Amino acid sequence: MIRLHTSEKDYRPFRFAKCMITTIVLGLFAGSNVFGEANRESTPELKVGSKAFTESVVLGEMLCHLGREAGANVEHLAELGGTQILWNALVSGEIDAYVDYTGTIREEILAEAARKGIQVQSEEQMRQELARRGILMSAAVGFNNTYAMGMREVLAERLSIRKISDLKNHPDLEYGLSDEFRERRDGWNALAAHYGITTQNIRTMDHNLAYRGIVHDAIQVTDIYTTDAEISFYRLRVLEDDLDYFPTYHAVVLMRSDLEKRAPNAAKAFLKMEGLIDPSEMSGMTGRVRLQNQMEAFVAGDFLNNKLQMNRPLPSTSPAAQWKRVADRLFKTTMEHLFLVAVSLGLAILVAVPLGISAARSERVANVVLGVVSVIQTLPSMALLVFMIPLFGLGALPAIAALFFYSLLPIVRNTYAGLRQIPAATRESAEVLGLDQNSRLRLVELPLALPSILSGIKTAAVINVGTATIGALIGAGGYGSPILTGIRLSSISLILQGAIPAALLAILAQWGFGMLEKKLVSPGLRPPR
Amino acid sequence: MFSLDSVSKSFGDVQVLKPTSVEFPVGKSTVLIGPSGCGKSTMLRLLVGLIQPDSGTVRFDSEVMTPDKLMTMRRRMGYVIQDGGLFPHLTAFENISLMAMHLGWGMDERTKRVEQLAELTRLPSAALKRYPAQMSGGQRQRVGIMRALMLDPPVLLFDEPMGALDPLVRFDLQEDLLKIIRTLGKTSIMVTHDMGEAGFFGDQVMMLSEGQIVQQGTLESLIHQPANEYVTRFIHAQRIPHVG
Repeated sequence: MIRLHTSEKDYRPFRFAKCMITTIVLGLFAGSNVFGEANRESTPELKVGSKAFTESVVLGEMLCHLGREAGANVEHLAELGGTQILWNALVSGEIDAYVDYTGTIREEILAEAARKGIQVQSEEQMRQELARRGILMSAAVGFNNTYAMGMREVLAERLSIRKISDLKNHPDLEYGLSDEFRERRDGWNALAAHYGITTQNIRTMDHNLAYRGIVHDAIQVTDIYTTDAEISFYRLRVLEDDLDYFPTYHAVVLMRSDLEKRAPNAAKAFLKMEGLIDPSEMSGMTGRVRLQNQMEAFVAGDFLNNKLQMNRPLPSTSPAAQWKRVADRLFKTTMEHLFLVAVSLGLAILVAVPLGISAARSERVANVVLGVVSVIQTLPSMALLVFMIPLFGLGALPAIAALFFYSLLPIVRNTYAGLRQIPAATRESAEVLGLDQNSRLRLVELPLALPSILSGIKTAAVINVGTATIGALIGAGGYGSPILTGIRLSSISLILQGAIPAALLAILAQWGFGMLEKKLVSPGLRPPR
Repeated sequence: MFSLDSVSKSFGDVQVLKPTSVEFPVGKSTVLIGPSGCGKSTMLRLLVGLIQPDSGTVRFDSEVMTPDKLMTMRRRMGYVIQDGGLFPHLTAFENISLMAMHLGWGMDERTKRVEQLAELTRLPSAALKRYPAQMSGGQRQRVGIMRALMLDPPVLLFDEPMGALDPLVRFDLQEDLLKIIRTLGKTSIMVTHDMGEAGFFGDQVMMLSEGQIVQQGTLESLIHQPANEYVTRFIHAQRIPHVG
């Protein structure tokens, strides 16, 4: 008796497609739980942003604390990837408020206006210019956090370097500069020109890592913020700005003007920041976070409760509460990461496989399609992320879009290659049987190309799991958030809380697709044992 | 069954088939023979519609072959290539019954037909569950023939069907195949470069050289009244133990 399965319904490629669609739908569900808005009552829902350095995060937590005290639900999108990202998010309403610095506002945010000849020198002029963009600028919070150049006290003493001009006499010093300082208009290049410093010994690195570098003498000079707690901790000398290069960087609250209507109490509360913090208080707070490992929310809340005689409860610091936070964070980042990966990969499969098929059918289409997806792949991931923000705002959506684009190439290329490697005789056999083009594709060509397609998807999945970590820079969450925070706080434990699950997830994806391949690919295509 | 009317075909600037008109009679077997590049495979591929003629018309069952009719016409042709041309991801049974399944035959109907064909081609039932990579060359070729016969087409076309087989297997299969063609009364067209095979199968033999038919007739007539020096040379270049 012959008993063989041959029902067209459960043909392998179909089961595969069904399985993919299920994954995407599940992903969307998972995501809607994670990212879903809390139930909207009459309490205003606000979002506060901060940049990826400790002072900014502490100030962000203060805004949260003040907003909550004023009766709003406030979410903190912490550690976003730079001025442009935050400013765009504020203008587009992705966030409602954050703290920035007058120097940055003048040189970065209003640079375009300044080029057009609009005066933005004084705070009042800036305030007017920002108001025209729907943004309200508070009075100064009270401290000036400007850039400065710093080096170890001992070394500076030995080389008798007191002011920035002295650097000229020591061309062999190694510089470690933060990306932002290296790139910005009022950053390194203009400074070097102003002081006539010509050196090639420059490495670009994360600001927080630069401190490690300077302690281990891998670099000798770095850019610092004048309120950094590390200055006293690591015994650094702040070099005197003898030629008056650095502008003042007074911290100010920026918030959307419509807040005064939408959440008047919170808007009023945010302005309590005006004149609230003096320089030593600020560096004291960053010190508590960076050097005593206290939580930003705790430090910020504690300061406000004392200073403004409030008694909002602070996050608990008991070990049990800490562990719970670790577990909660792991769960939350896992869900976020899975959501990013599942949705972007699912969409990429739905788009890339048909693209690969049409490329395999026509050499002309192949040239265009493969060319375009290859070019996308060469874009730096950070740049691609930033491109997505004007289109999709902040959060998961732009990250998914960027990951989607990154996942295309391996899948398109492997679909194309898998179909192209089918021998002509096999393809013609299907044709001569009398099968039409679509049936040939479904019954013969796709099943034969399936091992190649699956391995493309596997590659995309593994790349995707890794790349998704940078989504944290634009508020998409995922395993990148603890990594980012860990880098900022020099906390190996935090970095590992993101890095280890990310690595495990990549291995799991690899293994999962291996299993899927065993299940879906015909035994006839496996190498004979 | 098939006819070519001034059909020609070029690839690039090489004319692989010069304008040719010829008939393939119903119920007879025709063998196309000649050296590599003589145009015999091109002619077969034109008949089955895998390539389109540059000029002239191909008729099948007195109907002009056009791209829109091709799909249904092919279901009335069985096509067998070297090594069977099987789909490696399907078992023998699935290979044979793929088209029937696509046309909506039920499982029982398919099973019955496949069993019938297995008997006809002397393929062991156990082999039906195997994938092509798990079968011998002879079995693969038998499965290829079964697949061509599945829809019971009136015409069978063979492109060097025995090319990949060793001599003993080849001998058995030639016997079986001839029996099948004769019993079922099929029209058949076969491409080969082997004189012995040509004589064994062909009611008529068509010898091609450089894109045209140089002689057409029984193998005897080719041997005893060769049209030219080329035909004589081609026949004598092959070692045939018993000619005639």
